[in-house]
Amino acid sequence: MAKHWFWWFMTMACVVWYSTITVYVAIKGGADIKNMLARLDATKAREEREERER
Amino acid sequence: MTNFNWLLDGSIVGVYLVATMAAGLMVRKYVGKVEHFLVAGREMDVYLGIASLAATEFGIVTCMYTAQNGYEKGFAGATPGILMAVAMLVVGLTGFVIKPLRDSGVMTIPELFEKKFGPRIRWAAGVVIVLGGLLNMGVFLRTGGEFLVLVSGLDVRYLEIMMTALLVGVAVYTILGGMLSVLVTDYMQFIMMSAGLIVVTILILMNVGWETMVTTVETNYGAGGFNPFINPTMGWEYVLFNLLLNTAAVLTWQTIIARVLAAKDTNTGRKVYTRTSFFFVCRFLIPGIWGIAALASLGPVANTLEAMPRYLSTAVPPGLMGLLIAAMLAADMSTDSSYMLTWGSVIYNDIMAPFRKTRWSEKKGLFWNRSIIAFIGVFLLLYGLWYPLKGDLWTYLGVTGTIYLASMSVLLIACCYWRRANSWGAGAAIFISAAIPITYLVSEQIPATADLAKTVGPYYSGIATYLLSGAAMVVGSLLKPQSSGDLRKEAA
Repeated sequence: MAKHWFWWFMTMACVVWYSTITVYVAIKGGADIKNMLARLDATKAREEREERER
Repeated sequence: MTNFNWLLDGSIVGVYLVATMAAGLMVRKYVGKVEHFLVAGREMDVYLGIASLAATEFGIVTCMYTAQNGYEKGFAGATPGILMAVAMLVVGLTGFVIKPLRDSGVMTIPELFEKKFGPRIRWAAGVVIVLGGLLNMGVFLRTGGEFLVLVSGLDVRYLEIMMTALLVGVAVYTILGGMLSVLVTDYMQFIMMSAGLIVVTILILMNVGWETMVTTVETNYGAGGFNPFINPTMGWEYVLFNLLLNTAAVLTWQTIIARVLAAKDTNTGRKVYTRTSFFFVCRFLIPGIWGIAALASLGPVANTLEAMPRYLSTAVPPGLMGLLIAAMLAADMSTDSSYMLTWGSVIYNDIMAPFRKTRWSEKKGLFWNRSIIAFIGVFLLLYGLWYPLKGDLWTYLGVTGTIYLASMSVLLIACCYWRRANSWGAGAAIFISAAIPITYLVSEQIPATADLAKTVGPYYSGIATYLLSGAAMVVGSLLKPQSSGDLRKEAA
């Protein structure tokens, strides 16, 4: 481990960072999808309203 | 004989496939415009961007070539991943190129080129991007199929049928939902893929052990298995080629840049880059560990590309095998859908631009975008099943990718930061960066020139492409006489 510390450190960093980011992105990414679809819905409704008013 | 259990593992895979397809199809109702289809209405936020970028840039083909790198080169095989992570972090932090690109509001890179170099260069850039991208993507299907067949123990005769069914499924939701379907399915695929990658890696580290892997690399490759500069199959030319290749990919690879262009603003795009950067170390090192474990367990094998899946077929227990295959399917589906969409977007937005002199209706635009994706799917089936791959996979991908990465990175940097750059320089850079890799690929296939191609090698040929492409931009731009308008702009 001491001899090849760089690769040991990189391997452990990958496992720890990747596990953490997966959980974090799973939670926050779900919220992003919800907000994105809500914004698209709102834009569509606004455009339809403007279309009717014209 | 593999550990794949059709009832247990097959059920996991089946549930995953149905859930992904359903999610991909559900968001199609939000697609009303070409902008929704190509860049998700520019509504993508940071975490969805991270999931999508990571899922897109990791397919079965990635897993195969990075594991092959680990098997053939030891830990040093992960060098391209480290270089790419550094490049992405620096670009994300500084906003180099991606800031002016996103600020310009374009949907594809060639669209930006038109503003600086004119419509002909936009069209030529579109052709080069699609040519390089599709040649690159052409090997995805067969390589992915080989992995699945080897790991699951399925009869190799079913490879084509299985991959055709998978591609058709992916094409259906991509055609209907465009970038919105891609983002939503990428999110699910990121979670599934990551869970599989992490669990299998921990299992391998526990079963094979760190010390065994280090000893295996030392025994087979000596110090070169840990240091790319002293590895006889790598050296400084490998590191330099990969530095140029990965930096260019971070700046111009359409599937990566598509996330910046779909981001809701420039800062979001930059955050996606900085926060995803370390993933690119994982992208090379995690499958690299699998490849090293295969070397430790199987010893020397004739086909190094197949070593990792052969090893996993017996090392991963039932139950986890379903998770692994679902993870790899997730990885492949997200890559295929995103690649089809982004190359399709360049065909529609840039190559077909001369045919859209008058403004097309949104309905007509959506129809053509969908038709193009279907056409790309057919091309992938045909090309992916007959191209005979020679040499290692990463090198093939590097050489075909260089066809466009070299010129597009030179054009993009010049477009954003060099006032004197013009269409002569852009044309010369495109020609040089397409001519060298294509000549190399053709020479590799012709018996009379195969030895010469082997002597030159892919790394020197690749480095020459990047350097000469840059030189062509400078020389070509300086040779073109400046108009009085140009001179006034320069003086200002």
